[in-house]
Amino acid sequence: MINVKKLSHQFVLGKRGNQTTLPILQDISFHVNKGEIVTVVGKSGSGKSTLLNLISGFIRPTQGEIWIADQQVSQFSEAEFADFRLQHMGFVFQNFQLIPSMTAFQNIELPLTLKGEPEEKRKTIVMDLLDRVGLLAYKDHYPSELSGGQQQRVSIARALVLNPPLILADEPTGSLDSETEADLLELITQLNEELNLTFLIITHDDEVAKIGHRTIQIQDGKLLEGSNIQ
Amino acid sequence: MRWKDQFRFIRQNLKKNRVRTWMTIFATAIGCAFLIVLASVGYGLQKSIVKDAMEEQIVTQINVHGIERDEQFKPVTMKDIRYLESVDGVRAVTRRNDLYQIPRFSVDGYRTEASAIATHFPSEKQSGLTLSEGRLPEKDNEVVVGYNFSSYLASEKELDQKDIYDEQGKIKAEYRYDSPLLGKTLAMTVDKEAEEKVETHTISLKVVGILEKPTREWFEDQNVYITQAVLKDIEKFTGTYRGDPSADAVKDGLNEDEQTFDQVKVYATDLESVTAVSNQLEEKDYAIYSVVSEMKQINMFFTIAKAGLILVGTIAVLIASIGIYNTMTMAVTERAPDIGIMKAIGANPKTIKQIFLLESGYIGLMGAALGTGIAYVTSILINTGVPLILSMAFEEELPEGLQFSSIPPGLVAISVAICLIVTILSGLRPAKRATEIDVLQAMRREI
Repeated sequence: MINVKKLSHQFVLGKRGNQTTLPILQDISFHVNKGEIVTVVGKSGSGKSTLLNLISGFIRPTQGEIWIADQQVSQFSEAEFADFRLQHMGFVFQNFQLIPSMTAFQNIELPLTLKGEPEEKRKTIVMDLLDRVGLLAYKDHYPSELSGGQQQRVSIARALVLNPPLILADEPTGSLDSETEADLLELITQLNEELNLTFLIITHDDEVAKIGHRTIQIQDGKLLEGSNIQ
Repeated sequence: MRWKDQFRFIRQNLKKNRVRTWMTIFATAIGCAFLIVLASVGYGLQKSIVKDAMEEQIVTQINVHGIERDEQFKPVTMKDIRYLESVDGVRAVTRRNDLYQIPRFSVDGYRTEASAIATHFPSEKQSGLTLSEGRLPEKDNEVVVGYNFSSYLASEKELDQKDIYDEQGKIKAEYRYDSPLLGKTLAMTVDKEAEEKVETHTISLKVVGILEKPTREWFEDQNVYITQAVLKDIEKFTGTYRGDPSADAVKDGLNEDEQTFDQVKVYATDLESVTAVSNQLEEKDYAIYSVVSEMKQINMFFTIAKAGLILVGTIAVLIASIGIYNTMTMAVTERAPDIGIMKAIGANPKTIKQIFLLESGYIGLMGAALGTGIAYVTSILINTGVPLILSMAFEEELPEGLQFSSIPPGLVAISVAICLIVTILSGLRPAKRATEIDVLQAMRREI
């Protein structure tokens, strides 16, 4: 599903003429199979979020290749990557990243709207998903009227709404209490088993790392020896 | 993303800051209204002047002044008349000659001096000349008189004794001829100067018709329309061309083809034929003038004037567009986190740009719609208020039907188009900025 080959990334700091480079990731290579849950762990500043951002196409790698669903996405233009994200990827963020002026229903509906799906179809799909994540009663609630756990469920529902084969999650339980976290992890496992979805989860939480079929460890921008790499 | 959803998005976004949105719409509306009202003055005055010109002249009429060939000007001859009559699309060719002296006309003890015009009545009839009463002359000594002729006939007894004129220079009612003129015999007296003596010659003419009232209120027709035979009779008496009493040269010996005319008017069968006939006559070097050519000049002048006014009005819309630019820039800044989220989940930069462009276009369209309404109200106020103010200030009545401001649908279309183009252009830069928003930076702001 995901094939990362010799990926390196560095940030350029300072103003023009007085610039320095800061290496974040160095020579990373790994593979994620379809239907797998792979967790990426590491300390803060190790580069795991940068790795996710590179795979998501939010930033461009300095070196190396990223292949997703047999396509070299690292060569895509911004518009091409946007279309690819819409079709093939779902995102779950630590801070949920819901649009505050939209209701739970509208937030989940957004990817369908962007894809240009007809209203009736959108309604059916969103209502199904709201039911699945247990938020049917909260469909008209705005994010500010939902708890953290509920917001993350809305976020997951939004990630699933277009049936993407790949879900990328950045610290999905980072803002949740332990009880809600357990519920969410159960939901992720369930979705993986039922829908054969691929999950790449960035976390520093051991409980989250445990649900992964494999775990990749990053330290100082490099894959740690002994990482469960395939 | 579907258009319907994009519009839903726009409405939702605009609702977030209603006051700001409405103030921007209002500023655009004022700019658009200014543009329309300013240009409407051009349209209004053009309409009034064109209407005026159309009323003054018959639209199918082409005046033929003569022939301009090899830098020489020749009057229209009978030979030309025959050619003019043969042109396709010509209904009638009227020809008139002025008598080169002002004869005296008297009837039943009343007298006036009036111009005499010799004309060819059969062609006048063909041209559609209408009478208020009576008929056109059939015999040589029959005449028709202008509508106002009788009001200038003053009592001969009082003529030299009393002040018979009122303040407006018209003959007072008590001295004016007030009997029906139709069927009466006019005595027409012409002069001839011969060796310091003035000889007179009187011709009896029967009034068989009275012309229609002139279309222009300020114009009075007091002429007497005589036959060519009467003119020849006078020429024979004076021995001069057109009966000029003081001319030396005696003009005679002309054959019919060489006879010239002072006023020649060609009447086209319909308005569509006027241009074709005009073009054909111009090709043959005839010096012509028609209401259509006058219209061309008037319209050319007003087209330039209107373009200038629209240009000046556009400046107001441009000023309003600064407001739109500001509003859209603020909107992009405020909505950066939302844009970041949308981009993250797969919104194409093109879609984001389109949403913002539509948003500025929506403001422009709303402003243009509101502005058009304001412009129509202002136009009504101008048309009712300005004549009132002017008549009060200058104590003068303005011509009836004078329109200062007119808003044709074309002007509304032009203004709305200008408004839309300007507003979309002003939203272009903010929309581009929206597409350039960095996803990570935008989402970090949300935290």
